[in-house]
Amino acid sequence: MPFWLRLNMFFRSFFLQAGWNYVKYQNLGFALVMMPFLRRLYRHDPEVMPDVLHRYLEAFNTHPVMASFCFGAMAKKEEIIARTKALTEYKEQVAEWNGARRGLSITAASIGDRLFWGTLKPLTLLLAISIWILLGVNFFETEPLLPVSTWSAFAAGAAAFLVYNTIALFVRWQGLQIGYESDESSCFGLTRFDWNRTIYNAKKIGICFAVLLILLGVHRYFMDVRVDIEFIARAVLVLFFVIISFVTRRLRIPNVYLYLTAVIIFNIVCFF
Amino acid sequence: MTLSLLLLCLLAALIELDTTYAFQFLISRPIIAGPIFGALLGDVAAGVQVGVFAELLFTDISPLGGIIPPSGVVACVIPLALYSLGIELYFGFFLGVVGAVLYSFFDALLRKTRFRWLIFLEKRIGKKPTDIKRIIAVALFSSFLMTFIFISILTWCCARLMFVVYPYIPAKMHFAFRLAYTAVPWIGLAALIPALRLKTR
Repeated sequence: MPFWLRLNMFFRSFFLQAGWNYVKYQNLGFALVMMPFLRRLYRHDPEVMPDVLHRYLEAFNTHPVMASFCFGAMAKKEEIIARTKALTEYKEQVAEWNGARRGLSITAASIGDRLFWGTLKPLTLLLAISIWILLGVNFFETEPLLPVSTWSAFAAGAAAFLVYNTIALFVRWQGLQIGYESDESSCFGLTRFDWNRTIYNAKKIGICFAVLLILLGVHRYFMDVRVDIEFIARAVLVLFFVIISFVTRRLRIPNVYLYLTAVIIFNIVCFF
Repeated sequence: MTLSLLLLCLLAALIELDTTYAFQFLISRPIIAGPIFGALLGDVAAGVQVGVFAELLFTDISPLGGIIPPSGVVACVIPLALYSLGIELYFGFFLGVVGAVLYSFFDALLRKTRFRWLIFLEKRIGKKPTDIKRIIAVALFSSFLMTFIFISILTWCCARLMFVVYPYIPAKMHFAFRLAYTAVPWIGLAALIPALRLKTR
């Protein structure tokens, strides 16, 4: 794939979800990303473009970062369709293209959701919180708010931003080329990476951060603490919420509703 | 509503696009958006706290399939806007979380509405393929505009509500809201650690 074409598709991939809708999901974005490639492929035969685009406007939904593998693979498949001579061969290739699009989008979405939403996002959050605590930013203290330098405030967020985006942009850029160069035997390049191992190792790092965070938190909490009724009340409250949070997680109730319920219950208790 | 708050809502609507519709660099996540809003309003510490609390609270909801998580941007911008007007963070945070949940329903409605236009848009793209760029630009702009209107109205309503109600809020209620607010990071951390549990390779 020529560099400029790849770059064009790469930039357009940031708008994959711009037309997100509940029936065909990312279809408009998918067509937008593939447009430069299709225009180049069918430049001598522009009258077929409406029919070709019709296929790209079918339902498409995957993880926005991992979608680049789909773009590369679909481009390769489209080249094969464009080379067909007979109608039966064309129909076979179109059916194959459709199957690959569906299968690959589901596989890529599954990997992307686990890697980016399930691992990298919480991991970078832990990284940011650890940096803030190491820089002496105490956001647990609600009243009064302790002063924070602008540099400290942005350093942790910037670290989380850089770590997440370095990986996401690498996958976006490489996915296009790998998807284009690979075939069905390697699931269009998806098997080139050991995703499960990557996710496993990232989660191990996450656990290390979590342990570090808890140790730092406990150290700060107990540093100049005076065991009085207020301390015991706070400790009981924290323990209560940690236990309740585990229970609500098992019941698949989001934390947001736990917080909103807590506000209502505390108000009722305080009034009576 | 002051001009600075209106500009803040404008920036919030722009950043909110990053959540789903464009880029997805995750500038819209509360730990990044919170300090930005805080710095603009002159209190970075409040921005950091609200950002961390909101991110921890929403950490167990991911945008899988058609799920729309509560908006981290809305959860940050409302408490910080109210804080700049003298309302305590624990009241603002509650209103921000409610606003963030409401925004997810509003966004779902927007996506459903967009589908109604889809048949018309597909026909247009079929006739003139180059129109797709314009259609995407219009979709982006309409999302931005609707988000801006939503955030502005919500911030204005919350500010008005608090100005009317605030003098009558008893001390007990302050205590209850503050207590729930202090529990937020612990609720979030308790959900974050199981999210990283190791499964077999």
